[in-house]
Amino acid sequence: MTSAGKQLSNEFLDGWRARFLETGDAQSVWKARTAYVDTAVLEAHAAALLPAFQEDFALLAVGGYGRRELFPHSDIDLLLLTRSPLVHSSSKAAISEFVRRLWDEGMRCSQSVRTLDECVALHDGNLELTISLLDERLLTGDLALHTQLQERFGRFINAERKEIVRLLCKATRSRHAKFHQTIYRLEPDVKEAPGGLRDVHTARWLPRLRDGEVPATLDPHPAAHVSSVRTFLHFRSGRDQNLLDFESQDALAATPFSPWRDPAEWMRAWYRNAHSIWLDIQSELETSEKLERSMLANFRDWRSRLSNSEFTVSRDMVFLRNPAELEVDAELPLRLFQFVARHGVAPARQTEQRISAHLARWARNYATHPPQARWWRELLCLPSVSLAMRSMRACGFLGAILPEWERVEHLVIRDFYHHYTVDEHTIVALESLEELADAKSGPTLRFVPLLEESRDELWMLRLALLFHDLGKGTGGNHEIESVRLAKEFLHRSGFGEVESATILFLIQRHLDLSTLLQSRNLSDPATARYSAELTSTEERLRLLTLMTLADINAVNPSALTPWRLEQLWRLYRVTQSELNRELSTNLEPEAPPVSREENPVLAEFLDGLPKRYLFTHSLEQAAAQAKLYTLALEQSAALHIEKRDGFYHLSVVAQDRPFLFASVAGGLSSFNLNILKAEAFHNRHGYIADTFVFSDPGKNLELNPPELERLRAMLRRVILGEVRVEQLLQGRPAKSAPSRSSKVEPQVTLDSTTSEAATLFEVVAQDRPGLLYSLASAISRSDCNIEVVLVNTEAHRAIDVFHVTQGGRKLDDAHALQVRDALLAAAEG
Amino acid sequence: MKKIEAVIQPFKLEDVKNALKAIGVDGMTIIEVRGHGRQKGHKEVYRGQEYQVDLLPKVKLELIVASARVDEIVQTLSNAARTGKIGDGKIFVYTVEEAIRIRNDERGEAAL
Repeated sequence: MTSAGKQLSNEFLDGWRARFLETGDAQSVWKARTAYVDTAVLEAHAAALLPAFQEDFALLAVGGYGRRELFPHSDIDLLLLTRSPLVHSSSKAAISEFVRRLWDEGMRCSQSVRTLDECVALHDGNLELTISLLDERLLTGDLALHTQLQERFGRFINAERKEIVRLLCKATRSRHAKFHQTIYRLEPDVKEAPGGLRDVHTARWLPRLRDGEVPATLDPHPAAHVSSVRTFLHFRSGRDQNLLDFESQDALAATPFSPWRDPAEWMRAWYRNAHSIWLDIQSELETSEKLERSMLANFRDWRSRLSNSEFTVSRDMVFLRNPAELEVDAELPLRLFQFVARHGVAPARQTEQRISAHLARWARNYATHPPQARWWRELLCLPSVSLAMRSMRACGFLGAILPEWERVEHLVIRDFYHHYTVDEHTIVALESLEELADAKSGPTLRFVPLLEESRDELWMLRLALLFHDLGKGTGGNHEIESVRLAKEFLHRSGFGEVESATILFLIQRHLDLSTLLQSRNLSDPATARYSAELTSTEERLRLLTLMTLADINAVNPSALTPWRLEQLWRLYRVTQSELNRELSTNLEPEAPPVSREENPVLAEFLDGLPKRYLFTHSLEQAAAQAKLYTLALEQSAALHIEKRDGFYHLSVVAQDRPFLFASVAGGLSSFNLNILKAEAFHNRHGYIADTFVFSDPGKNLELNPPELERLRAMLRRVILGEVRVEQLLQGRPAKSAPSRSSKVEPQVTLDSTTSEAATLFEVVAQDRPGLLYSLASAISRSDCNIEVVLVNTEAHRAIDVFHVTQGGRKLDDAHALQVRDALLAAAEG
Repeated sequence: MKKIEAVIQPFKLEDVKNALKAIGVDGMTIIEVRGHGRQKGHKEVYRGQEYQVDLLPKVKLELIVASARVDEIVQTLSNAARTGKIGDGKIFVYTVEEAIRIRNDERGEAAL
């Protein structure tokens, strides 16, 4: 009987399988298997249960079986409904016999025995039963008991509607979180993953629970598609196996019913359908969560104060205040996504639908008038840019303003490590950077300062991440193709020369640090030299390190191990040290970028400046400073001030003399200007090329145009030594001390080993007006010469690195300690 | 049968794998590990913040091989992993009592 039953079952399965492989139609399989199982269950009931349960008992099909949606190997969900709890052992023995008979028939049975009261109780652990009862179907038994269940369950749903919906939303959100909220896994679970069958059903249950009916608007095709895939997986594996792995994708593409022979094409179709299901479930969740009144709801209401004249924030979602504006204002979506990235609030599904509906119109508009560099830069500087990107992708807007994006949309590149499609990987990489900014502990914590120090360049890193894999899928080295695409984009969007060079560098080199980690000895000085040669400046090194970290982290959730982080950190430190060394070490002269014949003044000016200068200045900027050099040759000093990107930039070229750098820093402070960045270099002919970036917190220069001229005149006198800076600084108002919580304890690190030619001092201190002047003066007072200075300010923290010599050589140990103490005293103020 | 455990420098992994492949050893388990031997750890200051650097990244290889081949494999592995500097790593050899291939219950060296 046992083997005969199983054999019969297998024969049926083989028949259904053969028919299914011709058509891919899951519904015919459901229908056939449900009828077959109904018969078997009724037979088992008659043989085992009927003698023990004459009355007050009903046998119900629930869940997928209740819906008549039985996949070839899915469980058979049965509810044995009783009026009162079972107490007799004979009843339990009958149920065991019933289940055994079904197992012997090759049917995996998932049964539960419940009383009427248990069916209408609500708590977290009971949600599954409540949901499965939505699809109940009487197989046999006490009709009156079943009617009673229907009545009581109906009343129960009416009474507990809100709570059931809340629990179902919570369970769904938590399931999505388990899969990292993404449908774009390369090997998805077709049942549980976002965009899978569970979401198809939840999108039906939620409106039924909420409004008592299923909306007719749901598109049946995505559900039919995912059902077909699950049916195939069951037939292929001979069990309830729902993982669409690479082998199954190959097999699916080879089936007679598949319209695509290429598995990658097949998967693109899968993601399109999953995306549609995902949008439906998101929409249903949003609508259902409206019912919720809780702490979270209060928080969301609080967020509504972000609303402005164009966008309304309600229930933690962004709505368009006047959707009709979309007809006439093509810039509205650009502002919307900046709003999203600024405040970290996602657009409502309804808003995204409105954007999608206008895509064709915008695509034409943006083809002729694409968003320019300024918009991209503003967007990419905002804190929640990945949220905006996710939404822009979901509604197709990203492809409209960046047609190159479509090349990687839903693109599957199979390898052992990557878990996501190329587009998803890109967005996860952007998210990784945002997560890093929030890191409070753990192995990534030490990378946070890199992020803070790169604040001004972070938008370039994000743009590079957006492009880094766009060249994938074309064969060969994808980074070359990605660079080509980025070049076209940067050109048509009007990005500047220096920033474009950095962005292209990051894209082209995004794999290099990973390769170095695996293939080079990090303790070998040659590795540091190679890596320093590759990155050229500390800024680029920081960005490339962060890019590597984000890229690895987006490969799969476990790819960024503490082991890899340690390796990456070591590589960063040895390279950073090498870049510092090179700044004040006389390296073998390289071929100059400009020959003496071509431009003798520029060539002379550049002679002896460190490589860093050439990587941080375009040739145009260098030529402008060379003009100052010509002036300085005649007048000992020349300077230029201009306002760019909201900050003032001062260039000074002058004959070197003691206290020069300190004097300029002091002169700026005497005007209450705030120095954000500074760099000082020497050329071989005794001239310095210093640059200062400063802000004007009191808007003195902006409100009083003659003040700029007065500043120039004062700086000129300071540079020529015609005025003492101490006098200028007298009477300047002292700035209030920072709060204790934000105070940065000053630290001075002395490094005598990194550079062959100079002693390095790194000062980290609370920023304050006049700090740079105090530090530089302390060095000059110690009879030392400042060879190189790199100054950076991040929030209230100043990081100043000085390369110092005396008599053209490094400081001896005793002198170095004295200078360190003097710097510490100066930093403490 | 012997178990060979080797802790080596990460950048030597490719060389070691290629050398073992050249003498017909394909199967191995590779584990990313962190630790230190005589090199010890040290404190490092970056931008005024102190970090403990006491665990250096290494790679651990585990191979189970026929006893007769141990010397040859250890020698190959050692040659490929050596730079001659501190931190090259260590090799340990243990005796293995039994090996079982789960799929078909094969035992002993046949299961390797």
